[in-house]
Amino acid sequence: MADVSLVLAWRNLWRHGRRTWLTIGAMIFSNTLLVFSISLQFGSYDMMIDNTLQAYSGHIQLQHARYLDEPKMRYALPDIDASAQTLRKELGLSSISARAVGFALASSHERSYGLQILGVDAEHEPLVSTLPGLVKQGRYLDPAAVEEIVIGSVLARNLKVGPGDELTFLGSGFDDSFAAGVVTVVGVFESGVADLDRSMAQVNLGYFQEIFAMQGHGHSIVIRAAHIDDVDQLMADISTLKPASDKLAIRHWDELQPGLRQAIQADMTSAWFMYLVLIVLVAFSVLNTQLMSVLERTREFGTMMALGLQPSRLARLVMLETALMTSVGLALGITLGCLITWYLSHVGFSYPGMEEMAVKFNLPDRMYPAISPVSLTLGPGIVAIGSLLASIYPATRLYLLLPIEAMRAA
Amino acid sequence: MQGFRLHFVMLLRLSWRNLWRNHRRTYIMLGAISVGVWAMIFMTALMRGMVDDMLNQGIHNLPGHIQIQHPAFLDDPSVVNSIAEPEGELLAALNQPGVKRWATRIKVPAVIASERESRGINLLGVEAEAEADITGLPAQVSEGRFLESNQDQGVVIGAKLAQRLETRLGKRVVVMSQDPDNNISERGFRVVGIYRAEMPGLEEYNVYAARDTLQKLLRIEGRVSQIVIVDQDYRDIESLYRRIEKVTPSTLEIKPWYEIDNYLAAMFNMMDGFVLVWVIIIFLALSFGLVNTLVMAVFERVREIGLIQALGMRPRLIVYQILLESLLLLLIGLAIGNGLAIITVKPLESGLDISMVAEGMAMMGASSMLYPNLTLHDMLLANSVVIILGILTSILPAWRAAHLDPVRALNST
Amino acid sequence: MSAIHCHQLCKTFRQGDEIITGLDHVDISIEEGEFVCLSGPSGSGKTTLLNAIGGLDTPDSGEIRMGDIRIDQLERGPLADMRLHHIGFVFQAYNLIPVLTAQENVEFVMQVQGIPAAERSRKARDILREVGLEGMEDRRPAQLSGGQQQRVAVARAIVSHPDLVLADEPTANLDSVASTHLMGLFSELNENHKITFVIATHDKRVMSYARRLIKMQDGKIISDEAQ
Repeated sequence: MADVSLVLAWRNLWRHGRRTWLTIGAMIFSNTLLVFSISLQFGSYDMMIDNTLQAYSGHIQLQHARYLDEPKMRYALPDIDASAQTLRKELGLSSISARAVGFALASSHERSYGLQILGVDAEHEPLVSTLPGLVKQGRYLDPAAVEEIVIGSVLARNLKVGPGDELTFLGSGFDDSFAAGVVTVVGVFESGVADLDRSMAQVNLGYFQEIFAMQGHGHSIVIRAAHIDDVDQLMADISTLKPASDKLAIRHWDELQPGLRQAIQADMTSAWFMYLVLIVLVAFSVLNTQLMSVLERTREFGTMMALGLQPSRLARLVMLETALMTSVGLALGITLGCLITWYLSHVGFSYPGMEEMAVKFNLPDRMYPAISPVSLTLGPGIVAIGSLLASIYPATRLYLLLPIEAMRAA
Repeated sequence: MQGFRLHFVMLLRLSWRNLWRNHRRTYIMLGAISVGVWAMIFMTALMRGMVDDMLNQGIHNLPGHIQIQHPAFLDDPSVVNSIAEPEGELLAALNQPGVKRWATRIKVPAVIASERESRGINLLGVEAEAEADITGLPAQVSEGRFLESNQDQGVVIGAKLAQRLETRLGKRVVVMSQDPDNNISERGFRVVGIYRAEMPGLEEYNVYAARDTLQKLLRIEGRVSQIVIVDQDYRDIESLYRRIEKVTPSTLEIKPWYEIDNYLAAMFNMMDGFVLVWVIIIFLALSFGLVNTLVMAVFERVREIGLIQALGMRPRLIVYQILLESLLLLLIGLAIGNGLAIITVKPLESGLDISMVAEGMAMMGASSMLYPNLTLHDMLLANSVVIILGILTSILPAWRAAHLDPVRALNST
Repeated sequence: MSAIHCHQLCKTFRQGDEIITGLDHVDISIEEGEFVCLSGPSGSGKTTLLNAIGGLDTPDSGEIRMGDIRIDQLERGPLADMRLHHIGFVFQAYNLIPVLTAQENVEFVMQVQGIPAAERSRKARDILREVGLEGMEDRRPAQLSGGQQQRVAVARAIVSHPDLVLADEPTANLDSVASTHLMGLFSELNENHKITFVIATHDKRVMSYARRLIKMQDGKIISDEAQ
């Protein structure tokens, strides 16, 4: 028996076993729920970010400084292919690809649709975007070929074309000249992102530059970092190589997809409001239990003070009791939450209506919560802090205790 | 009856006094119930407001509560899949009272070009005077005017599109699309109005022209893409839907809004589920404290309960007394919680500015102002869940109190 | 440092509308190693005087010195330390901590005093043997008789060799055998360890053990004689 205080605190907890278990029950309930929903949240945010960025925008883009706000043909970067090549060499990173963007009216034999046409570096594009890998019919662009086009699945359906069919497109070029071409559809991709599938087409960059009279210009150099956490470092490296100017801007994915971070923020805010309410309710439970426990032991505390114990030591005893109770709730809550989450992270999780929502946010139709040390401990940790804070009030009551009056208490 | 009333008054008095014997515990529990009930209602009002906004936006964007179109149109929104303007029975049904508004529209993909830029767009041919009820667009025109007749020769474009095209009010733009024979048809339009949509994405995409003008341009005189119908309330369109469905020719397809947009339908259906789950979670978190309070209240009074049992009080009355105590606690907590919810939601009803996350909200389909919606239905739901489940949770401690052995109870310390 | 000097101690209480005199200009000196009994009817001021000496209660006026320390002028903190290290208390109602065993009850105070675990354990065992509770170290208070509980309380009070033990009606809840046993223990401790004892009681048998008997009435000392 090394520490009598610890033994004392532990046994005190079980003087009213049912009360203690009910309080711990509230903690376990909240902790389990928090572990599960925070894991689910983190899992879906990561997936949302990855799916959205990988499909099209990449992690970082080099653009003309005005292109982000006014995506116009003329806000282009010169010698884009060479710039991309230099960057690949200097950064030692191959997942860097140049693009040019134009609008055109595409016509098949039966239909005409306005579409966004992308000139891409077919060799490097697959390294920055998942689209080339999502070609469901036919194949992706051949880097050496000209007059080939890959289009989105909805667009293909609307134009009533498939691999092998011809499309003509009309648009206006870099110098406001008339741009027209005849291309063969070689592939149809299906990304699941409605906007891309409905209105995007890709051709080889060289061919694009020729048709749209780009004179070597392009609109963006898209960079995909090895991991999303590397983005900030990569941004810094790029800006030393290519300092931003009134012609050149280095754009973080936050700027390219402002909705993404904000949707996460909005979701996070409402989720934390809910978590906070749970935490406050647990704190009330702890406050109730500890205050009762202090009040019913007034006489005992009086004796201890008569024996020469300082109120601070008694207050510490009460805090120690709360800490022990919290630890039990923490351990059991995390274990239970972890088991449930672990199970669902394997079989997946869905609820009615989720599929429709998932499509909107580029998520799969089953969710797989991501267990991480943070997602396991964040919620329960705050519950523990809340519980300890809640027991401060009962603990301070000990400072008001006078030994003889306390000993006289029933 | 008299006897029952006397009993009840006595029990009520007993329960009330017992409640305040340990006033600190009662205050803490009241605090917990109030915070819980407040959170239930407050959060629900915010979510309800957001989902209503998403549904309104979504339905304005579809548009309409019910749509009639060519069976292939939703999949392939081409000029080829047009339908004749309504006539006969269908026309008569549409003109019946009960239909708030109906109109025909043309909707085709097109390309719009200024002298500097071109863009792919969604070209809409609308009946000018019906549009206010269908998409609410006329109210969003910030510069110039909306279309004045079905023969209007101008177009109304979004502010963002105007910026992209580097054009402005009064300038000419060229609109290109195809006719049913796949010939390019194009003509110049003057920009007569510029609108600002709550969803920035739409501004870039939707271009409004007069219906008859487009029929001429696309060479589809007398034909339209869709008939859209607006009922009084989107939540309750079943009877109107069935009436119109009966008279819709079988060559046409009729769909209610919730079959056209799965996301909207999912949001609509999920909302009630969400409210229930949220209310129950909060209740469960509260229930531990509630049971705790009752268990302790019984524990402290073991001797006393033994005594009144020994004096001949029926166990049933002891159950009632404890339940009544729990009910009183819940009712006071609910009163405070509801009151708090009302006074915190009311000042926000003029709108909560969440433009910080506007583009995120746009992704979800909601606008950057949040108007909390405190509905009687949601409040009733929260209150009844708390009372019903609260009483159910209290039964066990109450029953245990009533079945104490009087002799042992009297001898316990 | 254990000589106690009280000078002109006064203390009044309010009870409802009445003002009750607890101590009325009490002067008393108790030397090191004395074995003193305070006797008198209920409300005569015995407990008030004990509490004042032990620093549990502050007098309205007058002074109390223990050695050269003014007890009546100490703050709560130093007073608690003073009790912890120099004074042992024994109460009428034992006041043991119900969730701790006899051994743990004794060790608890020593832990607060900062005595290392091994020493604590040994001392507690020794003192429990000394008060006649060998073999009962692991029992909780509820498993002990009143007399045994009171002996645990005594063991707790004297384990760190305080200079002074204050006992308030220690035998009130005990039968005569247990009372005799307890008083025997007190005198033995007084002789062997030179601990000063001040015992408030109205038990005649207890008084017979005292070497100095102080009688009180209405907050005043009415007689003070050695026996």
